[in-house]
Amino acid sequence: MTAAANTNGSKGALKLQQLGRRVGRQQLLESLSLTVQPGEILALLGPSGCGKSTTLRLLAGLDPASSGQILLGDDDITATPPADRGVALVFQSYALYPHLSVERNLSLGPELRGTRPELIKEDINRVLDLLQLQDLRHRKPAGLSGGQRQRVALGRALLRRPRLMLLDEPMSNLDAKLREELRAELQHILRSIGAPVIYVTHDQHEAMGLADRIAVLERGQLQQVGSAEELYRRPANSFVAGFLGNPSINLLSLRPGLLIGLRPEQLRLAPAGATPASTETSLNAQLTTREWLGDRLLLHLSSANGPLKVMRPSSDTLAAGLQPGAHLEVQWSRGDALCFDARSGERIEPS
Amino acid sequence: MNRLLLILWSLGPMLWQLYTSFRPNATLTGNPMQGGWTLEHYQALLGGNPPFWRYLLNSGVVGLSSTLLTLVVAVPCAYGLSRLGRKTARNVNVLVAIAAAFPYVLLFLALLQLARDLHLGNNLLALSLPYTGLSLPLAILLLQASFRDIPPELEEAARLEGLGLWQRLRWVLLPLMAPAIASASLLIFLFCWNEYPIALTWLSRADLLTLAPAMARIAGASVFTVPYGGFAAATVLGSIPLIVLVLVFQRQIVSGLTQGAIKG
Repeated sequence: MTAAANTNGSKGALKLQQLGRRVGRQQLLESLSLTVQPGEILALLGPSGCGKSTTLRLLAGLDPASSGQILLGDDDITATPPADRGVALVFQSYALYPHLSVERNLSLGPELRGTRPELIKEDINRVLDLLQLQDLRHRKPAGLSGGQRQRVALGRALLRRPRLMLLDEPMSNLDAKLREELRAELQHILRSIGAPVIYVTHDQHEAMGLADRIAVLERGQLQQVGSAEELYRRPANSFVAGFLGNPSINLLSLRPGLLIGLRPEQLRLAPAGATPASTETSLNAQLTTREWLGDRLLLHLSSANGPLKVMRPSSDTLAAGLQPGAHLEVQWSRGDALCFDARSGERIEPS
Repeated sequence: MNRLLLILWSLGPMLWQLYTSFRPNATLTGNPMQGGWTLEHYQALLGGNPPFWRYLLNSGVVGLSSTLLTLVVAVPCAYGLSRLGRKTARNVNVLVAIAAAFPYVLLFLALLQLARDLHLGNNLLALSLPYTGLSLPLAILLLQASFRDIPPELEEAARLEGLGLWQRLRWVLLPLMAPAIASASLLIFLFCWNEYPIALTWLSRADLLTLAPAMARIAGASVFTVPYGGFAAATVLGSIPLIVLVLVFQRQIVSGLTQGAIKG
């Protein structure tokens, strides 16, 4: 919880209660329950088609919920029309009005809602300053770069003074470098709203870098919600374990009925035949290829139990000296290994 | 060279009409280089009773009112169809397409009967009723396609901003459809401008005639000669407003306003 939440009394928490959406026989979202505090940024993370955009559209009121409730502060907004929810949504495509200048894009909504012209002018100037768009106010969207369009879309949402702020993959149309630059700036702006923020993304880095908590969705079902660290260290199931972390976790079936999850960065290498320490386990493997990533080396190995990825610092002389085809031992501390039920995928605390 | 041929191919008949309209009737069958020039055809047309510009004005009034009326009905209709489910819209569109393809000449007797019964004859604005009816199918199909081309997020964004249905249409959708509306209007206007059988049967007072029946009367003025010069002059005068209209609308039709609406 941030200071913003304490100072802004008019904004309440967002509560989803068993929210669901079904279209025909397809269950797009199943019984989603979540709470997001004012000033908190929650990332909805998942592969495409997992239900994250569905959730956003339900919250915005663009699609009706089939079951469950949406509470914002003290109000039940499940059936409230989109315009009356006080919800702002930044679309993935930005959805700027192409025939209007930046300034008119921002002012159209407030004007037609009947806001006083002086007030609109003041608000727009504030937002243009905040987003550094003053010089571009007379340009049309076609004359803006992707990052500038994103800022205009953000500005349009901010002008609403939303009680709930929604963002649908706002970075996905930007190049990787710009994305990283904008992350901190965006986080700062989103927090300043003081309303619950829901940020939909399929990019785990963005989710980890921006959000206070991450909710992982898969096939319309909530898999886990928690801080990035919780999700990384104690994933609820093998899907979450596999979705977070880059390179992704190794999932090996070393014992029947059990999947062992090993993070590539927690694995060590030893010469073939070396015996592991008493707290460690070891697996014989053969190097297939090696990727040099600057400060680190990513090694792809094959073992009797399937392929393995190992991440080592570039300074690891053993890893750096290996040739493809070389045999070696992969070792890890037993405490680092994550155990999953092979059938359900649920994580099991090692006994 | 190819381009020049193409231009000649399309402009040739018009230039020939222009040439004919300035030549004395007697010289039209002789050597095209002899006989000099004349303004008599134009003088006859514009000095007639009623003067020829009256017909242009009548056609303009009918064309404009029909176009406006068609748009007023077709825009909401196309919007509704574009927001309906694909299946329903397709079924409706099949009916609309059948109506669009129906040879309207077959209707004119029935329409004449209607005009008599409802006392709609000799009334320029009443003439826009059948014209609107006949133009609607095509206009609905054209505008619907253009509504579907507008990304749905644009309207959703406007909805979230609190814009009502009419506000969204007025401030977001219609400006983006300007090119489609311009081309649809032009097609409707052209149809009204050229329409003959209904105008011929619905209008009998000389001062209310539209262009097409008025031109037919030039032919009927003399039994023994074909007034080529008069025809040509009337054709030239009748095309000028259309050419102006096309030139004005041209930019609208060509301009791609939706550029940059979505992604880069």
